[in-house]
Amino acid sequence: MAAGPATGKGAAHAAWVMNLLTDLAFNLLIFFVVCASSAKEQKGKPQQVPSTQSDAKPSEAKQQNVEVAMTRTTVSLNGAMMPVPELKTKLAALLVNKAKPEDKIVEVKSAKDTPYSHWIQVTGAIEEAGGVVTLQVEVDKEVIVK
Amino acid sequence: MKFKRRKLEAVPPFVGMADIVFNLVLFFLILAKMQDETQIKWEPAQASGAKVVVKAKVSLTVDEDSKVYLNGKQVGLLNLTALVQAELGDSPPGDRAVLLKIHKDTLAATFEDLIAKVSEAGGEMVHVVEDERPQ
Repeated sequence: MAAGPATGKGAAHAAWVMNLLTDLAFNLLIFFVVCASSAKEQKGKPQQVPSTQSDAKPSEAKQQNVEVAMTRTTVSLNGAMMPVPELKTKLAALLVNKAKPEDKIVEVKSAKDTPYSHWIQVTGAIEEAGGVVTLQVEVDKEVIVK
Repeated sequence: MKFKRRKLEAVPPFVGMADIVFNLVLFFLILAKMQDETQIKWEPAQASGAKVVVKAKVSLTVDEDSKVYLNGKQVGLLNLTALVQAELGDSPPGDRAVLLKIHKDTLAATFEDLIAKVSEAGGEMVHVVEDERPQ
């Protein structure tokens, strides 16, 4: 049987098979395109916040913990202002002798206008230094004046 | 003269129909996926040490206008703890991941409250960030 353009009934059959194969190839193409688009990976940082402390709660332990305060652009460690890279090294030095996880708690207090981009960098530096981030959230109290 | 009547054979195009059905399934699949969160506008913050995110049942997004979305639906902060708890159900530790997609310029007044509520609900937070670019 010689190869070449088929004629008659054979040609119709060949066209039918080609049509089927083209459809199959097209569908496979779409399938893999969809798979590739949904497999777009996201990157994230896991964070454990053990408990949230409120300002209203006076505690004795509070004074023993390291405190990191943030404003819109600045960061301070126990009241001393410093840049973020320096915070990491100083905090690591403070926490190096502390073995228990509860001793590694770092209270993070942020001003209400602190942007998330700044906050995530500071908390990231705390975690890299070995600290456990605990948020100190200001609680709005409603006081009824008679 | 007698004409022979030709029998008309109409065969439904099964192959073509199957293709159309398959394409429709794919179309609705993509549509369903896109409806989730693609309309929410937010930009991730940059941070170092980010890892590839695991699959999570709960996703919380804060958009450019500080609106909060739970799995693509806009919610308020007031009852967020209960909503997250309901979504997480009785999932064991390790399977309680909550993706936090917070717009980079969101203020602490919004995101700290949100973090506190997720923590209260027993969620394991994963901040979705972008790898820090060298300056």
